[in-house]
Parts: sequence; C-alpha cells; structure tokens
Amino acid sequence: MENIIKSLEEKFNISEVIKKSDNLNILTVDKKLAMSLIIYLKEIEKFSHLVMLSAVDWLEDGKFQLSYILNNPEKKIDLIIRVFISREKPEMESIHKIWVHAATDQRELKEMYGIEFPESPRLNDDFLLEGWDNIPPMRRDFDTLKYSEETFFPRPGRQTYETKEYMKEKMYPDEKNSKNKKGLKDA
Amino acid sequence: MSLKDVLLPFLAWGKVFKNPVTIKDPFNDRPGSARYRGFHKNDIEACIGCGACEEICQNAAIDMVPVKGIETKDGDSGLRPMVDYGRCCWCALCVDVCSTNSLNLSNEYTWVENDPDKFRYIPGVDKKDWDNNELGWKKPENYDLNEPFRIQMEELKPEKRDSSFIEFVKGYSKEQAEAEADRCIDCGLCTATCPAHMAIPEYIKAIRNDDLEEGLRIMYETNPLPEICGRICTHKCETVCAMGHKGDALSIRWLKRYIADQIPESKYKDILNQGNDISPKSKKIAIIGSGPAGLSAAYYLTNLGYKTKIFEALPEAGGMMRYGIPEYRLPYDQIDKDVKYILSLGVEIEYNIKIGKDISLEELGKEYDAVFAGTGLHLGRSTRIPGAEHENVYFATDLLREISLGNDIHVGNKIVVIGGGNVAMDITRSLVRLQNQKNIKVDVTATSLESEDIMPADREEIDESREEKAIIDPGWGPKEIEIKDGKIKGLRTIKCLSVFDDEGRFNPKFDEKDKKFFEADMVVESIGQGMDLTYISEDIKTMVKFSDRGRIIVNKDFQSSLDWFFVGGDIIEGPDVIHGIANGHKAAKGIDKFLNK
Repeated sequence: MENIIKSLEEKFNISEVIKKSDNLNILTVDKKLAMSLIIYLKEIEKFSHLVMLSAVDWLEDGKFQLSYILNNPEKKIDLIIRVFISREKPEMESIHKIWVHAATDQRELKEMYGIEFPESPRLNDDFLLEGWDNIPPMRRDFDTLKYSEETFFPRPGRQTYETKEYMKEKMYPDEKNSKNKKGLKDA
Repeated sequence: MSLKDVLLPFLAWGKVFKNPVTIKDPFNDRPGSARYRGFHKNDIEACIGCGACEEICQNAAIDMVPVKGIETKDGDSGLRPMVDYGRCCWCALCVDVCSTNSLNLSNEYTWVENDPDKFRYIPGVDKKDWDNNELGWKKPENYDLNEPFRIQMEELKPEKRDSSFIEFVKGYSKEQAEAEADRCIDCGLCTATCPAHMAIPEYIKAIRNDDLEEGLRIMYETNPLPEICGRICTHKCETVCAMGHKGDALSIRWLKRYIADQIPESKYKDILNQGNDISPKSKKIAIIGSGPAGLSAAYYLTNLGYKTKIFEALPEAGGMMRYGIPEYRLPYDQIDKDVKYILSLGVEIEYNIKIGKDISLEELGKEYDAVFAGTGLHLGRSTRIPGAEHENVYFATDLLREISLGNDIHVGNKIVVIGGGNVAMDITRSLVRLQNQKNIKVDVTATSLESEDIMPADREEIDESREEKAIIDPGWGPKEIEIKDGKIKGLRTIKCLSVFDDEGRFNPKFDEKDKKFFEADMVVESIGQGMDLTYISEDIKTMVKFSDRGRIIVNKDFQSSLDWFFVGGDIIEGPDVIHGIANGHKAAKGIDKFLNK
C-alpha cells in the first residue's frame, strides 16, 4: 500500500493522504487530475471495483466533496479518492464508461445534491423523488422541517407545550409576563 | 414475443424442489436487527422533559405534553414526548440528541391497528409490547451531537494565586464563550430554577449570535448586577442544566460574566436605552443597605420613575458582596462597575450612616413614601463551646469585613476554621493568602460537622482550597477550645456520624469515643450568620409580625405587616446573592403597587 501511495503522490499531485488503517487510505486529488488517477488505479494498480460514489455538502466552504471508494480485490485494499468541486457550478466528469453501474450513483447524486455528470445515462430521470419540486434535499440549505410542515398537513387534535412557559405557569404563575397563555405552542 | 419469453416460465419449474430464499414459516417472529430503528421507548423516570427531541425532529412528529402523575419541578418540566407515527421517519435524531439517554428505539417494527389515532402515543406512558425490548437503536457510545463537556476556563495556578487577592479565574475568550454557548439546547429548565427567573437560554443565544448588546439587555431585565453574578452567583441554574445529565452543565455563570466583561460601563446607558424615557414620579423611597437586594430594588424603582436613596452603614456599596466575599473571587472594580451604572441612573447613596443610630426608621418612614430594608446577615454565630469567648477566636464575617476594609487582622501560625460552607472556604483561603504574605508557613485547617459528601460549600471551593495547601478535614463536631495559660492550644472535636435526622432536621449524632485534636493558636467560627435588626425600634417591632424563628413575615410583594415597610434579601431568603436580587425586584414591583393603590 505504501509503495502505491508513494508512486501516486509523485504522479498525481495528491494534496492530502489520510491513513485510516493498513488497508484503507484516503487521498485528496485535484479535480483536473481525478479522472486520470481513477483510470490509472483501475488499469495499472488493479483497483477494479468501484464500491460506491458519494458526496458531502460543505456549505460554509462553498464546496461539494465527492468520494470514490475503490477496491483492489486481489490485495484486499481500499482507497477513497476525495475530489472537491465548486458548489456554485457543481459538475464532474462521468465515470460510467469506466464502471457502467456508476451511472446509478451519479443519477442519485444529481437528484440528492444537484451535481451534474454530463453524458451520464438517464441522469435526469427520477431516482427516488418522483415529482420533486424543491432544491435537492441533501443540500444543507434545504430546510427539512419547513418542507415537511408545508407539505404534510398536521394531524387534527395535536398540541404541544413550550417547556419554559409551561414551567412558569406551573411553578411561578404570579410572575407571568408572557402573552402566550398556558404555554401552548401552535402545533 | 421471442421463444425465450415463451419458455422462461417453464424453466422456473426446474427450481420447484430447491430450497426457497424466502422464509418458510410465517408464524414465527421475524425480529428486527439488533440496532433496528423501530418504535420509541422512553424511560419516563429518567426523562426530564427538556424537549430536545421535539426541537430536533425534522418532521415535527413530536409534541411535548403533560402527563398525569408527573410533577413539574426543578430540573423536570413535567412534559413528556408524544410521537405521531404519521410523520416519524425513524431517523433517530431524537434518540441521538436526548439529554438523558432516556429515549431509545426498540427493534419492533410491526404494528397493526384500525384506529389511526392510536399511532400517536407517549412512549413509556402508554404501555406497549416493546417497552422492555432490549434491542433496537441506542445512541452509540462516544458520540454526541452536542459537546458533553465544558470548555475549561483558564485559572491562575495555585502557587501563583495563593499569596495574592488578584482574581484567579480568567474569563472566557470569544471563541471559548461561543463554543460553550453552542452546547446549550435551549430547553429553559434553568429559567424556572433561577430565583430571578433570568432568561438564560436567550442571553446564551445572544452569545451564539455574537450580539452581546442584546445579551446585556436580556440580563438587565431580571438582574442589574451581571458582573457580580457572573462571578459569584450560587448558580442554581447549573444544577438543573439538561446537559449535566450526560456530561457537564453549561457554565452559565461564566457566560453571563463574558457578556458583561465585554461591554464597558460607559456604553450601558445607550445599549439599555435608559435614563431618557423614564417619566419621574414625585414619590420617594428609602433603601436601607446597598447589598444585592437594596441595589436591585433601587434599580427597578428608579426605572419605574421613583426617587430612591440608599442608606449604607459601611464606607462603600455592595454589602456582603464587598464585605463578605474575598477580592480574589469578586474584584472590587467589578462591584464598582455594576454599582456605578445603577447610581448613574439617579439613585442617591449616602455612606457611613446607620439607621437606628444616625437616623431612626420612624424618621425614614415619615420622610419617604416607602422604605425597603435589605440589611443582610452580617453577624457571626458562635458555636458557644467552652473557650469560644477567647480573644483569638473570631467570626469569619468579622474577619472578611476587616480584610475588605483594608485593615490589618490578626493572623495566627496555626489556624482552625470551624465550618464547611462557602464562607468557611472564603476565610480559609483568605487566611492562606495572608499567611503567605506574612511569610508564615501555611497552616490552616477547616473542619465541619458535615462529612465531605454533604459539605455545603461548592465542590470547586473545597478543591481549590486544597490546591492552595489548606487542609479540609470534614466530619468533626467541635467540643472545646483548649486554653492553657491564657493561650489557645487547639480545638477538641468528636466524630460526627450524621448531621440530619430521618426527617431532614438538624440533629447531629456523635461518636464520643472517636476524638480528634486540632492544634491551633487561632480559631475562626464560620457556622452561619445572623441578622442585626437593632435598627428597628421597639415601637415598630410591635407593628411588624415576626415568625417563631425571628424572621420578619412578608407577603409575596415583600411587604411587612407595616404597610410602608418592605423587607428582602438574606434576612428573608438566603443567604444568597441571586435571591437578594430577585427579592429586590419583586419588592420594587410591590412598592409600585402599594404606592399606586
């Protein structure tokens, strides 16, 4: 594993290496060199299996992180390739020609994060969310609570109590200066 | 249709005698996996009704509702979560955020019912088959959505602090304060327990938003002494903090100090928008004593437009906060800051004037429309054991007052302090500092009736005293101060087995055979404080009602049975600074009510 990483560092300008265990390392690589690195790993280093492709939304940094988990079945070692792409115009080269099944991962990432993978088959078909009409739900600026409150009607008869107001009413009602009676919150 | 399509169904028949992959027997249980996220369970005794589960739920599936038989009390709202399974998506964030780990998910996932309303229930209260399921989702260990431990405050090391009265707790930086504020889950259990019912989660939120001016405004609504309380409040709020169940309670006291520390007093008036819009009233109120109760009453009365004047027997303002608490815990300039702001609003103060001597209470009553007395507990109480009348036996309160006045006090070579409360720790640590300053080898021992686990002093006070090389040796009852040739030889004690009886009354039990002798040439008594009510004349005493234990009886407006005479602070509730502040505030409202009748 060490030798592989050493040679990769020389060839692909790896910006960060995190060793998770003897058979798992995380490498961060520039977007421009990511494709070459992945093809190199598959063809030369025999990381023939794409375990999965996933994403993380780093809202504050204005970036999405893509994680390609690759497996070398002979040596039983894994590499996670991290690539950071712009959040403003999220786009990444498709790897469906290297692994056919990656198209499914990419279709999911398009739906959940809004990341474009040009030329990836059926990229814009609904994956899980039929008739979705909002920003992609895995983006951190998607307000799940607000969406569910607007989308699903509340069950009749539900009511909830605000802790502070309720305690005030029970423990020191004489000092009540709140407009909210009985500590009831709108459900 | 191809030939393959026609033949394929028949090919399936070839597998008819193979073992199926589906489960054969539909009548047996098919339990969810060990960490399956199924229906909720709640340990109703452990739950404190903080509402964090409701707050985090992204589907608004949880309501906090009252439950019969669960009482609202300090540290428990009395509310419990009710789950609506029409909305729950089994994400288990409610479990991960639960401040007591009482809420879990069972691994049960099947439930058939015709009535849809049945799918709303209170876990742990409405009995379910899966209540005792051991399996299911629990918060993984070593994982918390909120940092469970306190951001540590920088302090001077014991060897740097034990010979000086300089404040040794440093105060939070911006980053530290924001990180600590970030741990608050905004449940508000603290507000109910705080005697002044301060809007604690709100001012902590102001720190998170870096809006300290808003924080200051929130604090002054219920507490006009934030610099002081930010340092020496008894922080009852922290004893009920929801975060304390899994880790450390929030440092509410230090966060309060952080807000006040960042804003200079000169900006207070603008920020609090005070002084300009007060419409003055003609009525005047006299306040006896400038401790927390008196200052608080003066502040809120002035804001209501009344002319207020404080009469203070000592040369400076603050009462017990200045003359009872050592400077290393509460520096005088911080008292001055809070006091200066209150005086800047137009409160008058006269120092070195004793009511009952320089001017009588009757005269005050005639000259002013109402009088508020917050005269505190300045008298020491004696153990009355043989030898206690010796000249080198002192009261802690007297010594602490002399130190604050800047007077030289007698410092022995071997000192024993009798008492286990915060005042005992204050005098112990002050004497350690004085011994160091006078180049005497540190030799101060504090001993109390109470054993270590029930000592009334704050834990940190005990620990810090020991760090400063004082000896704390609790669990001994004082028997006699041995005197030989007119000089103190030491304190004879016997083992104290228990302090309170089964009904919780003070009724100490001793083992007379288990003795201990503390060698000493100076003894300090710190077993409680008494009030000096000699300023109340005999005439007035006949008009004011007293309880059997000698306390003045007041109504909830802190009004005595003599209608113009209001009383509060330590002589009514305490001893405790925050009760004093709360009393002063309530009395101010009560006086306003009385004068507008």
